[in-house]
Amino acid sequence: MKKIRLFLIAIFCILSISSSAQIKYTISGYVKDIKTGEELIGATVFVKDSKTIGTSTNAYGFFSLTIPEGNYIIIAQYIGYEVKSTQFSLKQNTKYNFILTENVTQLDEVVINAEKKDDNITKNLMGIEKINMQEIKNIPVFFGEKDILKTIQLMPGVKSAGEGNSGFYIRGGNADQNLILLDEATVYNASHLLGFFSVFNADAIKDVTLYKGGQPAEFGGRLSSVLDIRTKDGSDKKFGIEGGIGLISSRLKIEGPIVNDKGSFTINARRSYADLFLKFAKDSAMKQRKLYFYDFNAKLNYRINDNNRVFLSGYFGKDVLGFGTQMGVDWGNITGTFRWNHLFSEKIFSNTSIIFSNYDYNINTILAGTDGEIISRIQDYNFKQDFQYFLSTKHKFKFGFNSIYHKIIPGAITTKSDSSISELNLKHKQALDNAIYLSHEYNPSGIIGFIYGIRLTSFSTLGPGDFYSYNSLGETIDTTSYNNGEFVKTYFTLEPRFAANFILNEKNSVKVSYGRNTQNLHLLSNSTSGNPTDLWIPSSSNVKPEISDQVSMGYFRNFKNNVYEFSTEVYYKHLQNQIDYKDGAELRFNENAESQLLFGTGRAYGIEFFLKKKSGRFTGWIGYTYAKTEKKIGGINNGEYYPAKQDRTHDISIVGIYEFSKKWTISATWVYYTGNAITFPSGKYEVAGQLVNYYTERNGYRMPDYHRLDLGVTWQKKKTEKFESSWNFSLYNAYGRENAYSITFQEDPNDPAKTQAVQTTLFRWVPSISYNFKF
Amino acid sequence: MKLFIFNTRKNAIAFVILIVVSFLISSCEKVININLNAKAPQIIIEGIITDQPEPYTVSLTQTVNFDESNNFPPVSGATVIISDNSGYSEILTETTPGIYTTSAIQGTAGKIYTLKVTANGKEYTGVATMPPPVNIDTLTITSVNTPKGSNKTIYVNFTDPTGINNYYRFIKIINGTAQSSIFITDDLLKDGNIINQPLLSRGQDEVKIKSGDMVSVVCQTIDKNVYNYFRSLLQLSTGGMINQSSSPANPLSNFNNGALGYFNACAVTSKTIVIP
Repeated sequence: MKKIRLFLIAIFCILSISSSAQIKYTISGYVKDIKTGEELIGATVFVKDSKTIGTSTNAYGFFSLTIPEGNYIIIAQYIGYEVKSTQFSLKQNTKYNFILTENVTQLDEVVINAEKKDDNITKNLMGIEKINMQEIKNIPVFFGEKDILKTIQLMPGVKSAGEGNSGFYIRGGNADQNLILLDEATVYNASHLLGFFSVFNADAIKDVTLYKGGQPAEFGGRLSSVLDIRTKDGSDKKFGIEGGIGLISSRLKIEGPIVNDKGSFTINARRSYADLFLKFAKDSAMKQRKLYFYDFNAKLNYRINDNNRVFLSGYFGKDVLGFGTQMGVDWGNITGTFRWNHLFSEKIFSNTSIIFSNYDYNINTILAGTDGEIISRIQDYNFKQDFQYFLSTKHKFKFGFNSIYHKIIPGAITTKSDSSISELNLKHKQALDNAIYLSHEYNPSGIIGFIYGIRLTSFSTLGPGDFYSYNSLGETIDTTSYNNGEFVKTYFTLEPRFAANFILNEKNSVKVSYGRNTQNLHLLSNSTSGNPTDLWIPSSSNVKPEISDQVSMGYFRNFKNNVYEFSTEVYYKHLQNQIDYKDGAELRFNENAESQLLFGTGRAYGIEFFLKKKSGRFTGWIGYTYAKTEKKIGGINNGEYYPAKQDRTHDISIVGIYEFSKKWTISATWVYYTGNAITFPSGKYEVAGQLVNYYTERNGYRMPDYHRLDLGVTWQKKKTEKFESSWNFSLYNAYGRENAYSITFQEDPNDPAKTQAVQTTLFRWVPSISYNFKF
Repeated sequence: MKLFIFNTRKNAIAFVILIVVSFLISSCEKVININLNAKAPQIIIEGIITDQPEPYTVSLTQTVNFDESNNFPPVSGATVIISDNSGYSEILTETTPGIYTTSAIQGTAGKIYTLKVTANGKEYTGVATMPPPVNIDTLTITSVNTPKGSNKTIYVNFTDPTGINNYYRFIKIINGTAQSSIFITDDLLKDGNIINQPLLSRGQDEVKIKSGDMVSVVCQTIDKNVYNYFRSLLQLSTGGMINQSSSPANPLSNFNNGALGYFNACAVTSKTIVIP
């Protein structure tokens, strides 16, 4: 700690010397929405008539711009908002908040300010997808629930984990290789109802940023991507209620000031009620079934003074499924984040976070006379300190550290005392996960920019308990006992990150990036679409950290005064210490689950194309990805490269939104993708009186191709200052394509001497309707 | 019990999917054509030796392509040898095509047996240890409510020997017909306990037990490798579950050289009741 402090002081000294040559002053402040007072994330603030002097707001809406003494017109802008410009006569450090008004005249082709900066070209980072929360409203939805994870899947390089599934694969990475952060807290399972809905209530969300590659150094812990989700603070101007009523679920949001212009709160609640319909079922067994989910988001924030602000936010959600008193399964996430924003000066922004996150599941069963309960849990206690130092328009620094204590209860079975079953409590796992990072954004001129940084992580598995090592047959060959808190195994990794942007002219840029990521928590999931009961394990003597090195290169171009944007990116990823499962692996309630794993390398590469029309009556995009993801693991397919289960060759998504009038908007999405790699039998035989499939290689076959059209209509019934209401109609799978959810092999019921392949399709023509209101 | 809990857990998931599917969704099934590669046939060896009087048999068959009928050609003309760790060895005689039978060897608990098969120019060897027998104390019946209605379930009640790992396989025989469902358990959570093991079957084709039926249960004590064979065989028969294993594979055979099947050396006890 002392060393870190000395290091930081040294950096400050060097930088302040280098910057003291000219008389410069700093304009700093926030960019906010006029109606709610919500800070806008990623808004650009720049000097008029200059191509290079500008900045953008950070995750708390703060900006700091240091420029020489003089007179300026400074412009702030944000997607969906009117451009705001203010004149400054800069003779001292100035605090100023830009208050933006939502753009209501979207119908006409927006007159593009020639000076308008375009992020697509000028941002140094690549591999980023931003979800516009305005756009989400109009995209067709599944069962009336707007869903950020479903929308993200329509971006190039992002693939859905399956029909109706909110899981996603980024650039060949598995679903567990995405770091999903809700107000900085890790969300370990982002699915409701086995993935048909995501845990994120769109009403509560302010900003969604997805990093597909070249992640900035402040993020780490997962190989493939970071999905950074920030919730709304709530209006500090007036009380408001917003809600929606759908076929499957309803939601309600309340927000308002605690103290006008100083603090606000927001509470979001959502519950599904499909189970209420079960009460009307004729079948008595059906009546006893339970099936619902609910979640709450709540947030409080208070601005103590100009330099200090605190936030407290939390999420709580659960899925409950059951059959009478026979069986119950529930699972859910809890997250809590306390944050303190502090300005050390106009140039140094600090955020301190204390974060808690928890995922658990419980199974209750009294089947077969056994009254038992199964519990499994993963918990994080996280302390995070981040600094941003806005030295000048050319230099920006980010640095900080992060310390997480992970606690995993892999599985505990408790039974009644009179049961013939003994209790089982798999050894708890503890780990300490530390990281420090430093990154520097350097924009020497208007034509070139860099962000480079480094992240050092250490991951330690901690005692107490017995730790095993295994031979190649999976047999225990050595057992070592450790005391409470003793370090069993520590891995250090150095993760360099680098991104560069070469701006060819106002319309064209070329970007390159390289990044190394490591992952020390691994999800053991050996089913096609994932289960809530899948288990997270930390790195250990047997399981080494997964490492990925990704290089990517992209070309970015804007057309027609930025109405159209185009980008293409190629990437290549090399993966180390990848995990797959032995034949017949037993992962559940197995103290030696690590002995069921095989390790090897992997590679993923692909090219992505993206063309978007950003404004006008008609908006939308086309995304196409060609990709390949392979693994090479001793013990599988003779140690040759084989396709990973998430490997898909082609992936196309087309989104179109057309605003007929202020009242009517229609939208359509079409997706197409190659079927996943899958293991099918190549023959059959009989053993022990059973007909058994004969398998010859893993992932040697493909599921059939998938395609689907969704349609949506939004009817803005009323929109006044006091009250807004709208109806949303959507039709999922409009042409009723029978997409394969699974393929099973079974005896032909008409001819028991034959076998057949049976395809199960989940959704054909799912219509839905929802009513949304706001006052 | 380990397996039983897995079963209920798996059932829980299957059930969850089932209700999600049946209520939210208009799911549908259809038969499709998939071009599954024809592969060179592979041998299946199924061999057993018990502590009961001989003869014991070993059967040799071959895989067929997926679109062919379920006629599995026998493998004739093979050399099949069973030997034990006391130096005894016997060549089996092919009594019917693909079925090889012993003539003298008597299985004894505690011995290690080796089955060696030479067929079509390849040699396959499997080794199994015969654990000591465990007696069934009683068979009992309970009615269990399942999502599909009320079912009578047979419980096998026995005392697990303390201090050693035991693995069991049970065969349910209803009115003289052995059921094809596989029942196995280990003593992971209940070493030395009195175990009440329900013989709940996952198969669809199971005959329902009714009053007056004569039900016998055979208890085989098996070694760990044979247990793992049946455990991994059970993993494959997911009963039409739609959230399948993403890496289905052939069961873990105790034969080398890629042969499918198993060699089971087991001690056997049994018990019979008439359903009241």
